[in-house]
Amino acid sequence: MKRRTMMGTAAAAAVAPTGFAKGALAQSANEKIRKINFYTWPQAALPQAYQASQLIAQEWRKLGLDIDVKPLQRQAQTALIWYGRDKWDTTMWRMVGRPERSDPDEFVYSLFYSTLADKGYDFVGYRNPDYDKLAEKQRTQIDKEERRKTIFAAQEMINRDQPYAFLVHPKYPMAFNRKVFKEDTVVNQTGIGIRNIWTFVAIEPLGAQKDLIINSSESLNACNPLYIGGAVDSWITDLVWDRLMRIGPDGQPQPWSAESVEWKDDRTIAITLRAGMKWHDGQPVTIDDVIFSFTAPAGDKAPMYKPFVTEIVAMEKVGDRGLTMKLKAPNAAFFTASLSKINLIPRHVWEPVLKDLAGKPENAEQIKDVNRTGSGPFRMARWQPNEEVVLEAFPDHFRAPKVARWIMRIVPNAEATLGMLKSGELNFLGFFGGDPEVLVKFAKENPDIVVKSETDVGFEFVAFNCRRPPFDDPAFRRALSFAIDRRLMVSAAWQDFAVPSNSHVSPVLSYWHDPSVDNPKTGLAVAKKILADAGYRLKGNKLYYPAGKQEKLTTE
Amino acid sequence: MAERAEERGVIPAQLAARRSWRLPPIVQRLLTMPLRDPFAFVGIVIYLLFLLVAVFADRLATTDPTEILFLSTGKVAANMPPGAEYPLGTTNLGRDIYAQLVHGTESALAVGLSAALIVALVGTVVGLVAGYFGGWIDALLMRIADMALSLPFLPFVIVLIGFLGPDTSNVVLAVVLLLWPNSARVIRSQVLSLRERSYVEAARVTGASQARILFVHIAPNILPLSFVYAAIAIGWAIITEASVSFLGFGDPDNVSWGMMLQDAFASQALSRGQYAWFVPPGVCIILVVVAGFFISRGYEEVFMPRLRR
Amino acid sequence: MAEAHDPSVADYRATSPEDGGGRAPMKLVLERFLHNTLALLAVITILFFMFRLMPGSPLAAFINDNLNEDQQKAMLQQFGLDRPMWQQYLIYLANLARGEMGLSFFQRRPVTGILLEVLPNSLILTLSSLIVAYVFGVLAGAWLAWKRGSWIERAAVPVVLATRAAPEFWIGMVLLALLSFKLGWFPSGGASSPGEAYTSNWQRIFSLDYLQHLALPVITLALYLQGLPLLLMRSNMLEVMHEEFVTMARMKGLSEWRIVIGHAARNALLPVVTAFALGVGLSMGGNVVIETVFSWPGIGRMLVQAVSVHDYPLAQGAFLMIAAVLAVMNFVADLLYMTLDPRVSHGRAG
Repeated sequence: MKRRTMMGTAAAAAVAPTGFAKGALAQSANEKIRKINFYTWPQAALPQAYQASQLIAQEWRKLGLDIDVKPLQRQAQTALIWYGRDKWDTTMWRMVGRPERSDPDEFVYSLFYSTLADKGYDFVGYRNPDYDKLAEKQRTQIDKEERRKTIFAAQEMINRDQPYAFLVHPKYPMAFNRKVFKEDTVVNQTGIGIRNIWTFVAIEPLGAQKDLIINSSESLNACNPLYIGGAVDSWITDLVWDRLMRIGPDGQPQPWSAESVEWKDDRTIAITLRAGMKWHDGQPVTIDDVIFSFTAPAGDKAPMYKPFVTEIVAMEKVGDRGLTMKLKAPNAAFFTASLSKINLIPRHVWEPVLKDLAGKPENAEQIKDVNRTGSGPFRMARWQPNEEVVLEAFPDHFRAPKVARWIMRIVPNAEATLGMLKSGELNFLGFFGGDPEVLVKFAKENPDIVVKSETDVGFEFVAFNCRRPPFDDPAFRRALSFAIDRRLMVSAAWQDFAVPSNSHVSPVLSYWHDPSVDNPKTGLAVAKKILADAGYRLKGNKLYYPAGKQEKLTTE
Repeated sequence: MAERAEERGVIPAQLAARRSWRLPPIVQRLLTMPLRDPFAFVGIVIYLLFLLVAVFADRLATTDPTEILFLSTGKVAANMPPGAEYPLGTTNLGRDIYAQLVHGTESALAVGLSAALIVALVGTVVGLVAGYFGGWIDALLMRIADMALSLPFLPFVIVLIGFLGPDTSNVVLAVVLLLWPNSARVIRSQVLSLRERSYVEAARVTGASQARILFVHIAPNILPLSFVYAAIAIGWAIITEASVSFLGFGDPDNVSWGMMLQDAFASQALSRGQYAWFVPPGVCIILVVVAGFFISRGYEEVFMPRLRR
Repeated sequence: MAEAHDPSVADYRATSPEDGGGRAPMKLVLERFLHNTLALLAVITILFFMFRLMPGSPLAAFINDNLNEDQQKAMLQQFGLDRPMWQQYLIYLANLARGEMGLSFFQRRPVTGILLEVLPNSLILTLSSLIVAYVFGVLAGAWLAWKRGSWIERAAVPVVLATRAAPEFWIGMVLLALLSFKLGWFPSGGASSPGEAYTSNWQRIFSLDYLQHLALPVITLALYLQGLPLLLMRSNMLEVMHEEFVTMARMKGLSEWRIVIGHAARNALLPVVTAFALGVGLSMGGNVVIETVFSWPGIGRMLVQAVSVHDYPLAQGAFLMIAAVLAVMNFVADLLYMTLDPRVSHGRAG
């Protein structure tokens, strides 16, 4: 039990350990491993991850390590881990699932690519030229079978080096009321769950309640086709604006606003737009609108969307509905990473807006009155901050929704979401921040409520800072990773709402996931053996480096 | 205010006249007051009980409140009902609720008492200095007090914690910054009338130093007021800590009643009907805060007996 | 010190100008106005520098997976965060004078607009709870004073003190579980039913639906707030009933109840009115917790959200708006105190 002085911050600062391992000259051949700071989230923020970190620390201590578990608020943690890349040892972290992450490219490329170690996604600082080659190669392999082999090789390499200790792929529970909606019209999307556009266009009301009422614990930040300000923002933009392709329920990109999308050669794509599409204001959607949508982010007015169009070197109109795109280089993930991401926006609305912005410091993210004309299956009807967002069905859409309105209620109180689900104030649970066990029990007591949970594309893990000893040694990382019993993580921390993980490609992406890395042998014995084999020594219950290895770091 | 001070004028006169080894009468009265007022007596008893619990916390609850408990089957001992082994059951993540409640007492008292002490100290010193010296010092201190009083309470605490970090000492800091002006103002006006008293005048004529007049002749007479505001500050600090924890800005290293309530609500203890989880911390908060109210009322009844019936 | 004599009763700062005696009323009003304005200005200044000097770059809020370094720099520029501190401060003051509080980091919309959308909800919640609390508190307080010495009065005081000692969110959660989830008497949260559309804000506020949603948060808040007027009224009544004019009335042979209502209550009410004005300012800030429990779309929740994602401009704006309401109500309370309290208006020192 930790006690702290209440009398002032100065006192607390004064007792902070300083220069713990400084000048610890290796008098004997082996140097003791310094105290390790293990960062995590506070229990109030993410109870499962907090619980996991406590369980993991208990195991690691049994290996002879001195572990200090430090919960940090989200902001402080991002500031330390993301901006202070050489200042931390190890931390709990998570990668969240998004539809476009259903293509393995984003994780396989960005997470461990060397040049992204300083400022990009490779925040653990994993640098391996062999891995870089694989990451580049899979991108250029338009042949699916070939690419799959490369992706498998990448997973095996990561399994060997363990820059992350993958813990679980969580299963997020969602629910709906089967008294209100026809049960078989709810669509599960691989790696995402039932809260997806396929459900929202297909779901059929059974009775008088024609509105789908979904909850969110976070409020909508912005509703702008050129800016995403938070997780919930994308739920809405997804429905209001169309894209040429969408990630289908099977996790594969499929044509949406496009009638067809085809590779002509490894850098040329032929696109045909669907006939008869309309904007919410009644104007027709033309191929010029499509070209405009892919040109607009290329300038400096939509920084968030710019990366998705930089691969395009030329676009050429072919007839009324045809379009040829030329890419810089072959790109296997282009359908997912670009065509399924860029929102189609009406040229007649946005061209004058962007012209007006030209030469000003502001960009399209800060426009005061964003015009919300899209061509998607729903259109924006009303937005009351912190209360609700009301979308109404767009009857002229090619996949016109069966529900009349899509209403998102902002409910920060997890207990209240269940109360609302019971009373009918909600009929679709899009997110549940509480204890999933309670939800399952709740569904048992209220048989109208159907709970569905889907394994996520994303994952929760322990990140090791590969820049710093002792984590610069793959053997040490392996030992620490394999000391963790993944089944205990699933049951004791995630209450069985998760599956064990040992790869950055989720098992739900069954085509890309390499099953050979699943279920590695774990346990203290395994970990101890790895450490002993690598030369680490236990002296008086403390773990020492292999002979000759020294470090000059201090525990901060 | 004037009539109150007159009632009390007698005591300081005696104090000035008599110099003996005995405790000054005002201090004696301070200490014996609870015996005379039933409310204050109950308040003191509640405080003493919680103080005992805090002192013997390690012996009353031998389980570490942050430890994850396991069943013999290897599963986490989650959501255990109250029973012999876990008097109040366990949380959904396998922590002993009884141990948390007992150890939460320490943190509640630490927060409450440190806030009370600092509020009383700062308020008394500022009130004394402002009231006694007057002039620009007084004007300056009172304008600072005005400013502190213009800060909305909970929003200020949230902003301060949000940016300085979720540390319990920051809760205390915020509470102190917001509460000292009340005691300072009241004590100041009390000093204003005290310094015109004849015995103070007498001391001045006999050549007593400023500091002596201030701290020996005036200060003891405003001690009851300091006590009143200290007792109030205890309650405010504990409730503030709980509210801040509930909003998710609690100190993650600290087991407190507020953190317990936050945890209970976030984990749907209500839905699960785990009354033993969310009722006791709330009751403890009410008891400690009410005890503070009782004591402050008691001091008032005895030292500022306006409401004689 | 009219109403601050009993700190366990008073809110933590239910104090009033204690040094008003002997000066001309007009001068006094101006002085209080000046003090309140200066205090608000000081709050603005402190707040500005507090937000800027906090540990950690304001950019930490922007750490966004999709932004590279250049884009982050551009962002700093757009929000004027690359200029020297004093320039930022002057720009901020100038903008504030025009009612502009900058752009929200995350919503990319003007802060003033965002806040004005949620402010009415908070004001309505605060005012309705205060009215309920004060009507009940004043009546119950007067009744208790009348019943002085009875067992019911002796039992009531600690009970009322306990309602002031209970954490509001705790009471709120329990009431919500009981009256809403279990019994279904009230909606579970929000300010109106899903998708309910109104032609105007007024129509919305006076709709039955809105009132239904308002009921439970108001009850919770009023349960907390009623203690102050109740205890204040009770002790003022007890005090007033010993004063000469009451004794006079008694000698005239008026009935006890008529004395209570006709004479004592009127005089005892004055400090309560002042406390009400202060209460508006104080509860605005205290609503933060209630708004979270009841998913009420008010300014307090906006503040909590903004602070938790470090949206400086929005957090600053929300805080200032609450502080401004507090400052205005402080001034109103000062005025009420001066006009209502005979001792001050007749030039007697307090």
